[in-house]
Amino acid sequence: MALLTEALKSYIGLQTEAETACDPVERGAVRRHAQAIQDEDPIFREPCPNNARFGGPVAPPLYPTHMFRRAFGAPDPLQERAHDPDYDGLDSGVSGGLPELEPIKHLALLNAGSEIEFFRYARHGETVKMRSRYADIVEKDSSKGPMILVTIETEYRNGDDELLMKTRRTLIRR
Amino acid sequence: MAMGGPRYFEDVEVGTTLPVLKKGPLTSAHLVRWSAAMENWHKIHYDKPFAMEHDKLPGLLVNGSLKQQYIVQLLKDWVGPTGWVWKVSFQFRAMNLVGETLSVWGRVSAKRDGPDYGLVDIELGITNDERKESTPGKATLAVPYRGGKQVPYPFVAPQS
Repeated sequence: MALLTEALKSYIGLQTEAETACDPVERGAVRRHAQAIQDEDPIFREPCPNNARFGGPVAPPLYPTHMFRRAFGAPDPLQERAHDPDYDGLDSGVSGGLPELEPIKHLALLNAGSEIEFFRYARHGETVKMRSRYADIVEKDSSKGPMILVTIETEYRNGDDELLMKTRRTLIRR
Repeated sequence: MAMGGPRYFEDVEVGTTLPVLKKGPLTSAHLVRWSAAMENWHKIHYDKPFAMEHDKLPGLLVNGSLKQQYIVQLLKDWVGPTGWVWKVSFQFRAMNLVGETLSVWGRVSAKRDGPDYGLVDIELGITNDERKESTPGKATLAVPYRGGKQVPYPFVAPQS
């Protein structure tokens, strides 16, 4: 049976409102991020000659994609599902703020890859917002049967609406 | 650290390999540290019984989100502070597991003139100890001309 139903196609083009990350770019969070990726470039730490043209210390290039965290007071799935042996620990948010694709929500999700364009670093202290859309949803045959390829485009901007980066991610559902 | 990269477009030669960026051997502690930094608690990256018994994986999986950080680091460090990593794309084709040492590699595949700066195309990927490729991809970097203008910041993509 075809997975790509009219109901599923109706999600193509669906776009979120701009969502602002719950915290601005924080120096401590940048330090933890830089240490976790083992890239302690001085441009992430303090004003230095190599970040002068960026306007001072900046976050690592992909940092804005990880800023959309659970806000104070938001439901806590880790606690709510603590006794569920099938809970995989995943928070929502893999879809950049987009609603779940109801017709195929039972299918496993794999991250197939990304295309990313960078325009500007996020500076320490800046707020970041994102806006996502389902750019495409197609069905393909694979050796393991039919699968759906979902393409999600997301734009990240700072508080002054300056474009930081664009991502185009492909998720496999099967 | 930014080092060893092309300061000027004229210095870039097609076929040049970028210095390999080694990461590992990666332990579960590395992955917990990354999970905490990004506040993503997917158990397949740190809960071995869950990964193997529930999700039937061969071990703890290195996050794709961590591997993409390594790729961007390789490119950023090579192009240096006067250049710019404009575009990068990659596919997650195979798993990498805790215990592996990853080698993030790149090679200049083409260079193209632009009006204000040059563009350098890179083929890239991530191999493990057995030289198995997991994350093939490509990138385009902007590099200034010797004696030319600075690469614009914020970056302005060339007109296609």
